[in-house]
Amino acid sequence: MGVLNNSLPDIGPVRAVDSAIGWGRKSSIWPMTFGIACCAIEMMAVYAATFDLDRFGAGVPRATPRQSDLIIVPGTVNAKMAVRVKRLYDQMSEPRYVIAMGACVCGGGPYVKWGYNTVKGVHKIIPVDIFVPGCPPRPEALMDGILKLREKVGRNQVFARQAQTAADMDGRYAAAK
Amino acid sequence: MEALEMYTVDPNDDVYTEELKLNLGPQHPSTHGVLRVELKVDGEIITASRCDIGYLHRCAEKIGENVTYLQFTPYTDRMDYLASMNNNLAWSLTVEKLLGVEAPERAQWIRVIVAELNRIASHLIAFGTYGIDIGANTPFFYAFRERESIMALLERPSGARMLYNYVHPGGVAHDIEDGWLEDVLAFCDEFEMRWKEYNTLLSHNAIFIGRTANIGVIPKDMALDYGLTGPVLRASGVSWDLRRDVPYLAPYDDLEFDVPVGEGTHGTLGDCWDRYWVRMREMMESIRIIRQACPRVPAGPFMDKAMNRMYKTPLKPEPGEAYMRCENPRGELGFYVVAEGGTSPIRCRTRAPSFCNLSVLDALLPGTMIADGVAIIGSLDIVLGEVDR
Amino acid sequence: MNETDIHSKLAGAVVSGVGALDESAKDPFVVVDPGSLVPAVTFLKNDADCRMEMLNCVTAVEREDCIEVVYHLSSVTHRHSLTLKTRVERPAGGTHESWIPEVPSVAALYASADWHEREQWDLLGVRFTDHPDHRRILLPEEWIGHPLRKDYVYPHEHGGMPLDLDAVPLYERDEATPSEPAAPRPSGTPLVQPPNPNSDRPDAGGVAPADSDGDLRSIKPGSNDGGGH
Ligand code: SF4
Repeated sequence: MGVLNNSLPDIGPVRAVDSAIGWGRKSSIWPMTFGIACCAIEMMAVYAATFDLDRFGAGVPRATPRQSDLIIVPGTVNAKMAVRVKRLYDQMSEPRYVIAMGACVCGGGPYVKWGYNTVKGVHKIIPVDIFVPGCPPRPEALMDGILKLREKVGRNQVFARQAQTAADMDGRYAAAK
Repeated sequence: MEALEMYTVDPNDDVYTEELKLNLGPQHPSTHGVLRVELKVDGEIITASRCDIGYLHRCAEKIGENVTYLQFTPYTDRMDYLASMNNNLAWSLTVEKLLGVEAPERAQWIRVIVAELNRIASHLIAFGTYGIDIGANTPFFYAFRERESIMALLERPSGARMLYNYVHPGGVAHDIEDGWLEDVLAFCDEFEMRWKEYNTLLSHNAIFIGRTANIGVIPKDMALDYGLTGPVLRASGVSWDLRRDVPYLAPYDDLEFDVPVGEGTHGTLGDCWDRYWVRMREMMESIRIIRQACPRVPAGPFMDKAMNRMYKTPLKPEPGEAYMRCENPRGELGFYVVAEGGTSPIRCRTRAPSFCNLSVLDALLPGTMIADGVAIIGSLDIVLGEVDR
Repeated sequence: MNETDIHSKLAGAVVSGVGALDESAKDPFVVVDPGSLVPAVTFLKNDADCRMEMLNCVTAVEREDCIEVVYHLSSVTHRHSLTLKTRVERPAGGTHESWIPEVPSVAALYASADWHEREQWDLLGVRFTDHPDHRRILLPEEWIGHPLRKDYVYPHEHGGMPLDLDAVPLYERDEATPSEPAAPRPSGTPLVQPPNPNSDRPDAGGVAPADSDGDLRSIKPGSNDGGGH
């Protein structure tokens, strides 16, 4: 929505439009088909019949980063893979979200001490929105992570002006005082 | 290469094809993880291929040299994460061989049951994802439904859903609860019905057979040369199963089961359909084994008394080395451990079945269509966690 | 046949360089000279009584005084197996990292040896002469060192990707100094937590909680906002 992004005053009608857009976005999150390691199998279990992620509108994995809003990073990222993960993330279009699934991508997991080529957490490479720890996290945990992400997506402001930088926030903070 | 000749156009014609380099993976829905294959294609025909692995290399062998023998068990879970029980089992047997101890009888029978359950779960994933590779999405949901039942069963003794860390050197970590064996038997009955359903869904589907029969043929000699094991080797007509030929657990001697081999039902021996069908039949053999084993689980300790101290003081085997191999769902999993008296080995080598099975890919792909390449990769049923370790 | 029979056949066929069978080991093994490795393996593969069709595993082991390469061979026809070893002594005063032992490749005999030998080269730095495709297999081609050597030093970074637990995330780094100085790392560097701009963002128009002042300041302008616009 280009130039209008975050340019309108933060008033009731604008926020109503924003929340409508947020509702639309959060109800159709399209994750990317992307599996790395053990956690990917639990992620597949979440898509499958028993847990059925489709109930939350996020059950249609897209095969390409260009069509997806969400990248779930399920599994250990090593030096060779990190370059690819970063490139995949860069290829996604805004708004984009990242869920770090599993102990490995949250901070190194079992490979933190002796792993000579593992990246100790995917947040070293790309910014992460939701961390889902566990090794592997139970499907319920991943679903909880996705529900949390839905809340976050719904809160985002599209048109209404929002504090973006530390300076803006400081100004607002001072004004509120 | 016949297909290639059929499609090659006269260079003097003004319609001609050019070679194209194509990268398959590491993020690709049908490479079963993070496998990357560099392909040279001429139109739809693959002319050369080169596998690039290592996108999931997690330093398991280095870790093995730094942690104690017991601590390494959970890392074996994470190698072939679809068959954790079997990996635990292979590692525990290796350590037991190194120490010269044997697990109590009850533990051995429990090990057989959990290993076979996990074999079914692993083959179910192979079945479900192979359907997706070929373009049939439905089997995936059916396969995961039954897999969830197995997960629930295995969760009860081990406490974990997927990476169990249950079979320990000297026995199993916890005893099974009352009524568990009955539930396992009930699952067997249910599964038998489901299995027939799978066959109507996928196995005998004409399109599926058309996509897999006569594709990716691995002759017997080639299979042995590349060190292929497991269903991939058996589909090529070699009747070789470590459970029967080099029994590593005492109960396997007493149990009756067949070793399914490929028969070339829908075309050449050793094609993709044969590999698929060997796996399907193996599931039923596992059910047969479980049915026989459940009533025979004896009473007694589930963990070697003397080994119990390993939870407090790390094990210290005498200097020596041991190579132990087990029949995993994907083939022969071997651990080669060299001890020099410390609490951790100086070398902890894993002979991963997927690693060897994947090495044949570069020889299979040239001359096939790209879509068939996907069918071939799926039929090898690799787990990248184990290829790279 | 058991290992003793195979060994006696092997010692009879390959003229020199075949050592005695170590029967005390859990898996009895034969040590051969690197020079006689290829003839010995050729014999074991082709002899009608041995018929070792399958090379299960190739392992390199670094010991105090030598590097050992271990071959596990087995026969599907006769259902027996044998462990074959070859040793390269460490030269006196030879440092670990710079010393690359050389062993002849058996990739021409067994296709499975191809990848196994590449892996041993990659992780342990054993060069297999006459190998058809002597590249690294698991680690990136430009990786330095062979990680399974005992004196391997862990890297801090590879190809711009941080490998340290306390590394600064890529998107947090200043443009002027794109990569952090890798070594030596000062001890006690604080663990840098990834800031999460969106989740900390107060509701528009709302009052920021007083104690989050410090957090707000840590968000740099231009750092990536997870989304929302
Ligand atoms: S967190 Fe655990 S289960 Fe997930 S990828 Fe890492 S090791 Fe595997």
